[in-house]
Amino acid sequence: MVILSRADDQCVTCHNSIEDKPSLLFKNDIHQQNGISCADCHGGDRKSEDADQAMNKKIGYKGIPKGNDITKTCSECHNNQAKMKRFGSSIKTNQLEFFATSVHSGGSIDGGEWIAQCITCHGAHGVSSVKSMQSPVHPANVVKTCTKCHSDPSYMKKYNPSLPVDQLSKYHTSIHGSLNKKGNIDAAECASCHGSHNIYRPADTRSTVNAVNLPSTCAKCHSDVQKMKKYNIPTDQYKKFAKSVHGKALLEKHDLGAPACNDCHGNHGAIPPGVESISNVCGTCHALNADLFASSPHKKAFDQRKYPECETCHGNHEIVATTDALLGVGVGSVCSKCHKSNENQKGFVAAQFMRGLIDSLELSEKNAKGLIEEAQQKGMEVGEAKFKLRDVRQSRLESRTMVHAFNPEKFKDVVNKGLEAAQFVKSEGQSALDEYQFRRFGLGVASFIITLLAVSLFLYIRRIER
Amino acid sequence: MQENTQQKRRDFLQYILGGSFLAWLGAIIYPVLSYLKPPKQAEVEVNSVNVGKSSSIALNSGQIIKFGTKPVLLVRTAQGNFKAFSAVCTHLDCTVQYKNDLGLIWCACHNGKYDLNGRNISGPPPRPLSEYRVTLQGDDVLVSKIA
Amino acid sequence: MKKIFQWLDERFELDALVKFMGKKYVPIHSHSVWYYFGGVSLFLFIIQVITGILLLLYYKGGEDLAFESIQFIMSKVSFGWLIRSIHSWSANLFVLSAMIHMFSVVFERAYRKPRELTWLSGMLMFFLILGFGFSGYLLPWNELAFFATKVGTDIVGVIPMIGKPIMMLLRGGEEVTGATLTRFYGIHVAILPGMFTILLGLHLLFVQRQGMSEPIEFTNTPEHERETMPFFPNFFLRDLLLWLIVLNVLAILAVFFPWELGVKADPFASAPAGIQPEWYFMFMFQTLKMIPSHVLFIDGELLGIGLFGLAGLVWTLIPFWDRKTARGEHNRFINYIAFFAICYIILLTTIGWLS
Repeated sequence: MVILSRADDQCVTCHNSIEDKPSLLFKNDIHQQNGISCADCHGGDRKSEDADQAMNKKIGYKGIPKGNDITKTCSECHNNQAKMKRFGSSIKTNQLEFFATSVHSGGSIDGGEWIAQCITCHGAHGVSSVKSMQSPVHPANVVKTCTKCHSDPSYMKKYNPSLPVDQLSKYHTSIHGSLNKKGNIDAAECASCHGSHNIYRPADTRSTVNAVNLPSTCAKCHSDVQKMKKYNIPTDQYKKFAKSVHGKALLEKHDLGAPACNDCHGNHGAIPPGVESISNVCGTCHALNADLFASSPHKKAFDQRKYPECETCHGNHEIVATTDALLGVGVGSVCSKCHKSNENQKGFVAAQFMRGLIDSLELSEKNAKGLIEEAQQKGMEVGEAKFKLRDVRQSRLESRTMVHAFNPEKFKDVVNKGLEAAQFVKSEGQSALDEYQFRRFGLGVASFIITLLAVSLFLYIRRIER
Repeated sequence: MQENTQQKRRDFLQYILGGSFLAWLGAIIYPVLSYLKPPKQAEVEVNSVNVGKSSSIALNSGQIIKFGTKPVLLVRTAQGNFKAFSAVCTHLDCTVQYKNDLGLIWCACHNGKYDLNGRNISGPPPRPLSEYRVTLQGDDVLVSKIA
Repeated sequence: MKKIFQWLDERFELDALVKFMGKKYVPIHSHSVWYYFGGVSLFLFIIQVITGILLLLYYKGGEDLAFESIQFIMSKVSFGWLIRSIHSWSANLFVLSAMIHMFSVVFERAYRKPRELTWLSGMLMFFLILGFGFSGYLLPWNELAFFATKVGTDIVGVIPMIGKPIMMLLRGGEEVTGATLTRFYGIHVAILPGMFTILLGLHLLFVQRQGMSEPIEFTNTPEHERETMPFFPNFFLRDLLLWLIVLNVLAILAVFFPWELGVKADPFASAPAGIQPEWYFMFMFQTLKMIPSHVLFIDGELLGIGLFGLAGLVWTLIPFWDRKTARGEHNRFINYIAFFAICYIILLTTIGWLS
């Protein structure tokens, strides 16, 4: 390929003269600036002044590439490292590979072509560097580019009717969106989270917004101390989240029931939940706890004092698995933060009372279980008691939910159910152990009788043989 | 004189022999007789549990039945169909129950909800409940394992 | 007491029977102790019959009931644990004591003329005992039994031509299923006991008719030096004494080492580690495991089964080929064979246990 000056390019000369729009746009194209001519994509002879000669199919004139040929035309160079190097370009050459696996390479409705081609996002004749404000995929413009299709319900319906088209309006309500609107290119835009050429459906495990991958996607920026300095927000959320009960479930066990960042903060409309709505946010999963809390005396008290509801006791990003230690007035309890023996006394007494109940239930369960296990280990059949033991455990789990009503009476009812069941199990276990003793005793008696009989028989034999 | 003691000893030995033989018989017969006595629960109940008459089970209701050592929830829908599921919540092993106001299976521990096909539809349960087969034999409702 | 006896005596001539038994003598010599194992085996068989009948009252055959019904017996029925444990323990002691009885007969050459048929009936009973063990093992329908039965019947299937049909016949289908359980149940409680009872009757009849066998050395000693003891009541009472002790041992085993039930069999589960047959099949199982898969052009397993079959046949027919003993001479060769068999069984069983 010989790099020629613009003047020698007959395509441009001629097409400009008839004010052909693509040719005018091409003036500012990064490809034009690098000496690539119309003919490099469209074929033909750019030196010929004769239109018939220049655009003769016999000499390789291709005309306007259609469908997948568009992308193939681009990738002739962009997928070829050697060629790209010749132009002094350092941009990657794997776009096609990525793109070919992405959701956008699915079949278009008008014949088996890909839904999107390179030019769909990058434009055709006025292509600029991504870093240029002119580029449709520059962070300031990418939102507009994506939403051209993604906010068009009638267009999106053709491919994925269940996919919402309100991402843009949600995005504008988010911090990211409002910063982006102001031209802040730090703020996350579509590609920051979804990727560019390699965009997959969220359910696809390769997707950057797949629940398991999302926390690290968010952390790309939110754990970046430099980036976050300006906005005065912490950068340890990911670290805390990864240690939390949610983070462990999601990141280690890949339990998709566990929340990722977006489940509490929203995704396109990402914003921290307000103080009064926290229990609703947590309540989407922890519904019963939230309901009980909402009708508890704490709801009003917390809201008045601007305490962040659930977060007050459980924390936010680093929520660890709760233990009974949270309840009560001892060391490690959260109740005692507000309720003291001389201050907010009613709660102090209630917390102490409830902790006492749950402790005694736990102890009862442990004892009952111990008895059953001992009996079982001694070979006794205790299937029934084990069955009942489930009820004790259930009551304990229920009581840990019920505690959110902060009502000692209700709490007592739940715990008592468990205590009664534990009592039953204990007596079953005890009688199994008694039965075990009885067997030994019975054996002793029987052995004594048999021995007596054997000895007297022995003496008798001796007698008759004398 | 010597014959007399001999005689006495013989009697003594025979008493012991006879007595211990009787005691031995007792030691054999007692367990066997107690074994023969029908136990409280007359029969082993297992893989197929007879729940009772279908006419005595109310529409739109649920009940926990003991299936071997596991609880099973038998639901009679508002339409009168029978459904049975393992009553062990797939979240933390609590026992689920039928909520007739919602027409759903509900776990009291963490508000897990399952639909009447056992699918987990809301709350923390990670998996559906396993289903049991309900068959009607005349008027008797039998719950059995799906092999 | 006396009146009842007289009443019966008038009708059945019991007196003659007592006299007959009183006239029967048991030789006393240094090996007399081995005489007791026949009696112990008989006692254990009686125990098996009684406890087996008791278990029948609550046991329910069938894939979905067998395990649960045993669990029911063990937990809900009073003394059910005792009956079941005794049945299981006694089964194992039964095999052991029958084995001892068999080997002692070989060492004492008690099978020699005129007792060939006594030996033959005894051997047949021994095979039936093994059949009892194999079929009874499956009845609780637990995991171990399920897989042991699977392996055991698989081995039968290896035999060419007849193996597959026999396996199908035993299993009641291609696989070990509820049908197998039903078949084994029938075999265990009806077919085997029937056959066994007939053989036992013959065996006892032979013994009563021919009296106790005497070792060759004993026969060769002069008549006045031979010591004997009347069968009734002396030997009979000794038998009873031993039976009492065995009964007590059974009770102790049942209380201190109750027979475990394990986990219910799940035909779809993968086999758990450490699947082992009952100990008395262990040496055969271990041998089959150790034979390479192909010896020359013969399938290894097939070779093993063939060899065991042949050994069993030769062993069973000892009285018919052991001419030397029949002539009243001492045949050391028999001792070597029996000694080798015992060592082989002990060695392979130990290896099986350790591996």
